[in-house]
Amino acid sequence: MTKYVWDNFFRKSDQDQEVLEALRQTYIFSSLTGKELGFVKDTVHVRAFKPGESIFRQGEVGVGMYVLLKGTLEIFVDHFGDEKNPVRNQLITRLKAGDFLGELSLVEHNSRRTATAVASEESMLIGFFKPDLFEILDRQPATGVKILLRLSEVLGRRLKETTVKVTELKTDLRRVAGPAPV
Amino acid sequence: MSTTALSQDTLRRVNRWKLAGVIALLISLFTVLIAVENLLVSSLLAFVIAYTAGPVVNYLERRGVSRGLATGLTFVGAGLLILGIGAWLAPYLAETISRLQADMPRFITGLGQYVQDFEGRVHAYAGPFSNFEVTSKVETRLTDWTHDVFQNLPSVLKTFFTVMVLGPFLAFFMIKDGRSVSTLMLSLVPNYLFEPALSLQHQINLQIGHFVRARLLESLIVAAVTTIGLLIVGFPYAVLLGLVAGLTNLIPYIGPLIGAVPAILIALVNGYSGLSVLAVVLVYVVAQIIDAGFLIPLMVAKIVDLHPVTVIIVIIAGAQLMGVLGMIISIPVASTLKVTVSTVYRHLIDTRT
Repeated sequence: MTKYVWDNFFRKSDQDQEVLEALRQTYIFSSLTGKELGFVKDTVHVRAFKPGESIFRQGEVGVGMYVLLKGTLEIFVDHFGDEKNPVRNQLITRLKAGDFLGELSLVEHNSRRTATAVASEESMLIGFFKPDLFEILDRQPATGVKILLRLSEVLGRRLKETTVKVTELKTDLRRVAGPAPV
Repeated sequence: MSTTALSQDTLRRVNRWKLAGVIALLISLFTVLIAVENLLVSSLLAFVIAYTAGPVVNYLERRGVSRGLATGLTFVGAGLLILGIGAWLAPYLAETISRLQADMPRFITGLGQYVQDFEGRVHAYAGPFSNFEVTSKVETRLTDWTHDVFQNLPSVLKTFFTVMVLGPFLAFFMIKDGRSVSTLMLSLVPNYLFEPALSLQHQINLQIGHFVRARLLESLIVAAVTTIGLLIVGFPYAVLLGLVAGLTNLIPYIGPLIGAVPAILIALVNGYSGLSVLAVVLVYVVAQIIDAGFLIPLMVAKIVDLHPVTVIIVIIAGAQLMGVLGMIISIPVASTLKVTVSTVYRHLIDTRT
């Protein structure tokens, strides 16, 4: 408990620098000036997670994204199988410091998490959520627009990657199924 | 850095303790708010000021002014505006109040006379079955009440000035540093509840902000329409009665009726002709038609979607708990509870499905 209070109330200044640096390194915030980054730093939320603790679960409504400041995360996807094996967790990827996740929830209404994120060691995350984005847009619209542009770029890139994967899968499927009947 | 995954039971226990800490903190804050004299009313006033002045501060911030300076400028500007309006209205209000004070005994006697006439008529109709005495009771009550008002005036004024100083003072820091305080409070919330808590706080903030601004604007328009109407029909104390109408309009459904009572009583006691009384009633009716027909559908109804029956029950409960202040704050409190319950319920559904 003492550590929790210490972490949350007092150990701020050196953490502030780390948060600022992590934000600067994150693609979504990397076009911001020093002053704008300072403003974003005062808006975001730093959260500490224990090993095994979930950041969010698949299917929950999410309201924002996280940037991994310290530690590692494992991302699982639940597969709903047959009656014998109803739910199966599949490890999709591991994230390390500097990676970010959940950015789709920033723009989607009532967005459901598409995977479960679990801390695999003691981890610190920077949370940036819809209310924070709205506040930035209300108080410093120029900063908000820069963030939104970068966010759109990231989402566009993800869409392109998904399109390429879907096309590849379709090609593979056609190859497996053989030529279409005339 | 530890990499041993904690068991779900341990995590749950830690989270339960954190949640208990947050609830204990909230209860302590609420207790302090109620226990310290004038703090609750001052905080309510501070919230109203903060929600009204907040958008102005944000506007200045968008123009490149720092948050602190923007807050300072807004408060100085608002202070000067209020002083200006006060200075402009002061002679008129002082004259109106002194006239009202001088007229008060006449009103009480007049009202007594009016009730006496009414009682006489009832006695005439009911004959031997009517065995009651209302006039003297009403007169005694009114005299006592007037006496009490002037007796309690020093303590009421003391409370008024305390609230008027403390409210804006708290509001200044709410606007300037509110964000860091709410971030600090949220930092104590356990991880699994963090996103719902943040979303809840945001929704409540939006709902109350819209509500406060809409109701203030609505009351201002009702006050202005009533004042102008009373001036047109040449009724005395027009500005004072307009202000009363605007203020009581904050109480839904019952407020407008309460607001019209002083004017109608003055008209009856002063022996106005039926047509003049009708004109005064018409002014209040027109103000209410504008309110119900345009202002509420345009500004308020979209914000608070409580059923009329709920509204009435909530107002009665508010009145019984905290009097007039309870009637005014009951609706925002009820809508806040509604947002809270529906968000918590949605979160529970989301985490269970």
